[in-house]
Amino acid sequence: MKHPAEIQLALFAGSDLGRWERWRVRRHVGRCAGCAEEVQALRAVGDDLREAAGEMPAQFTKDLNWTRLAEEMTANIRVGLAAGEAIARFDRPVAPKKLGLGWHAAMVVAAACAIFAVAFWSSLPPQQAQHLMASLRRIRVERLGMFVRSPALASDEVVLEASSSGIELKENGGAMSLTHPHAEGGTVSVSLQGEAGVRFVDADTGQVTTNKVYYGEQ
Amino acid sequence: MASSKFLAAAIAAAAGTIYAGVLPKIDLPKDSPVAVLSADYGDSNETARGGALLLDLHAALSLRNSSQRTIRGITLAVTAQDVTPGGKGSVTVTSLDVAPGDTFPVRVDLRLLRPLQASSAVPVVIGLDGVLFDDLSFYGPDQLSSHRTMALAEQEARRDRKYFKSLLAEGGPDRLQQQMLATLTHEADRPSLDVQVVRGGRATNFDTEQNVRFAFLSLPDSPIEPLDGMARVAGNEARAPRLEVKNRSDRPVRYIEVAWILRDRNGREFLAGSVPADLNLAPGQRQQILENTTLKFPARGGQPLAIDGMTGFVSSVEFSDGSLWIPSRADLGQQQLEHVVAPSAEEQRLAQIYRKKGLKALIAELNKF
Repeated sequence: MKHPAEIQLALFAGSDLGRWERWRVRRHVGRCAGCAEEVQALRAVGDDLREAAGEMPAQFTKDLNWTRLAEEMTANIRVGLAAGEAIARFDRPVAPKKLGLGWHAAMVVAAACAIFAVAFWSSLPPQQAQHLMASLRRIRVERLGMFVRSPALASDEVVLEASSSGIELKENGGAMSLTHPHAEGGTVSVSLQGEAGVRFVDADTGQVTTNKVYYGEQ
Repeated sequence: MASSKFLAAAIAAAAGTIYAGVLPKIDLPKDSPVAVLSADYGDSNETARGGALLLDLHAALSLRNSSQRTIRGITLAVTAQDVTPGGKGSVTVTSLDVAPGDTFPVRVDLRLLRPLQASSAVPVVIGLDGVLFDDLSFYGPDQLSSHRTMALAEQEARRDRKYFKSLLAEGGPDRLQQQMLATLTHEADRPSLDVQVVRGGRATNFDTEQNVRFAFLSLPDSPIEPLDGMARVAGNEARAPRLEVKNRSDRPVRYIEVAWILRDRNGREFLAGSVPADLNLAPGQRQQILENTTLKFPARGGQPLAIDGMTGFVSSVEFSDGSLWIPSRADLGQQQLEHVVAPSAEEQRLAQIYRKKGLKALIAELNKF
């Protein structure tokens, strides 16, 4: 026979168990002499305590509101539990939000549209499909432009740079610059056939000098 | 052997001096109309920078005109085959007046960043690409199209000297002085721009790319009429220009250059570059010009340029017989061009003479030609 825990017997003795638990413990205590004796002993202790409380001086008991005290304790326990839950939430991975009914509906509509588009596209003759694609592409380019996604130059790219302080040819981590330390400023020019230059008047010689860098195929 | 050269270069680099093995090789043809009298490398040095060597070369060459004609211009080709095999450089000096037997200086200031392990070879070769004489004849391999470049510069110089002489004749020294002051002011006020040229159609930003149409400035005397043009623009990048031009002259044309002015979102205009084209355009014929190159305008001390509009004008034309057309002074005086286009090389040179030596020296210089 499995005996109830001591705490359950204590709660039963104080009539503090729930209805189901109270029925279950009462049923056991009715058949188990040991547990019945334990319950009697606990009730006796409770009676003694109440008597002792009744004999306490009035100034200790007259303002003591047991119900309010119990409510405060319960509230404190709830606050503690809530705080613990909040701290534990920091360590938990964020669970994805469950889709609401609105999203489900949107997904259904989107799926229906996709099915319709595929069916429409597959039923179009190839020439008309190409024409439609070309029209859509033209509208996109005219209205929105094209979206470019090339974040970096390839390492083997040859880059020419021209600024008023000099011109530079960069390639494979090496660089060749032509500078003009004996002149103030300079006129920068580039050509789209692959050359960059700067023109200046040399302060010492008074000569018009043009430095240029080129791609190799020149 | 190679390792000992490398060691010598490394020791010289550590000491901040220059190792003789890295001095440029000056390679002129045997029948060259110029000869090297001396080469002074002054305060050139080579220093180690991380895993690379930085060669800072300052070469002052003294050349002699060993031909029988007066030299007007010279172009030296600069190659660093080990470091930048995909490209080369050049130094061109124009507006020269070097009589036969006379000497003249050419300065080459070059910086070369090269890998440490490449230091055993001669890094730089200076060769001759061409010499232009006063009768507009030319000598040289012309691998860098220096003949056309120097001929155009000489034509601009002649146009501008003629203009300044006419000012002097009509308005006297005061009128010439006024014009020189205007040139110096214009040179100082002219907006300038740093530019990168990248071959290929690859843009490097994430902005939306749009086709932007060129507006064209009409130059009444131009033998070429631009009809239509477009380029793809994304943020501070412009690429893949397409132009359609028509030859409205009575002579076939083999080369044109269309200058390209960009306007930013603040309304400022910059001369960004030019679209050159080698073509074969008969009188009355139309042709499309396509270039698969990207121009990028990096930020310089602030926001990068945001391109808002483009204007083009024909800046030079070469006919099949080799003769050239350039815009007149009146063409360049148009309101939109006046503030954007730089003074010619000759105008800059004459303005420097005025600034440093005064009006009398300027008049004496004009009278030399």
